[in-house]
Amino acid sequence: MADARRYWDDIEVGEEYESPGRTVTETDIVLFAGLSGDYNVLHTDAEFMKQSIFGERIAHGLLGLSIQAGLFTRATQAYATLAFVGLRWKFKGPIKIGDTIRLRAKVTAKKDTSKPDRGLLTVERTVVNQRGEVVQEGETDLLVERRQ
Amino acid sequence: MTTAAPARFFFEDVVLHGVVETPGITVTQAHVNLYAGVTGDGAADEAAAPDLLLLCLTTGLGWRVPQPPLVVLAFMGVEWHVDAPLRVGDTIHSRSRTAVKRSMRDGGVIIEERQVINQRGETVQHGKFTFLVARRPATAQGGPA
Repeated sequence: MADARRYWDDIEVGEEYESPGRTVTETDIVLFAGLSGDYNVLHTDAEFMKQSIFGERIAHGLLGLSIQAGLFTRATQAYATLAFVGLRWKFKGPIKIGDTIRLRAKVTAKKDTSKPDRGLLTVERTVVNQRGEVVQEGETDLLVERRQ
Repeated sequence: MTTAAPARFFFEDVVLHGVVETPGITVTQAHVNLYAGVTGDGAADEAAAPDLLLLCLTTGLGWRVPQPPLVVLAFMGVEWHVDAPLRVGDTIHSRSRTAVKRSMRDGGVIIEERQVINQRGETVQHGKFTFLVARRPATAQGGPA
């Protein structure tokens, strides 16, 4: 079967993608608390959170970050990614139980590296909810294979 | 004797340049599978741990230290760098240092430098977390003894 992954050479600055939506459920938050061990009351105590500015439990910020990473794989054909290098990320608003989020992504930069077989790619990402409000945004840097 | 309310760590309690080192956790195939199931995110290589999984695990490690949990009003942002891959079966722990403590009107901003360290003492990931933290209310219990 042909390699369906896209190489650094083929990806262009300015490409934009939008993912399908994903509804964040109570189950997602409970599972993520169990997996990460982060039981902060923000995510786990419904009664306490009734009195907070949010009025209810909210998703872990890092759950939203991780879900958008999953949504990216459903937004576009896979890159020939060698490594995830880093990210700069801002949490702008809460993700509440029942909210549906989607990812908008745009390739903003391509850079050579010291090795001829790989290049650096910067992708700007925005996570929006069902009302079009930006709940998270940032940039990720990826090392992607070049055609030999 | 009555039981005291759980101790909490407010902005005033945070020590600038204070370092917190957590116990370890072995990253298993179960973590990778659960993470992939919940988030839809995975690693390209089956034996590798997804990079963001480690970032998520450090937040839980932060609850396994003697210091009471920080009263976080909002998680504002994160800057993160992956220095080396991690394999399933490796054991990580994290080390955090308070780099910035800035007073604000409704609380304070704390910037924490965090490293993820493997069983050989190598830093595999590092970065900065920015939190908005509550001030101690006049009547609050807890904090350092």
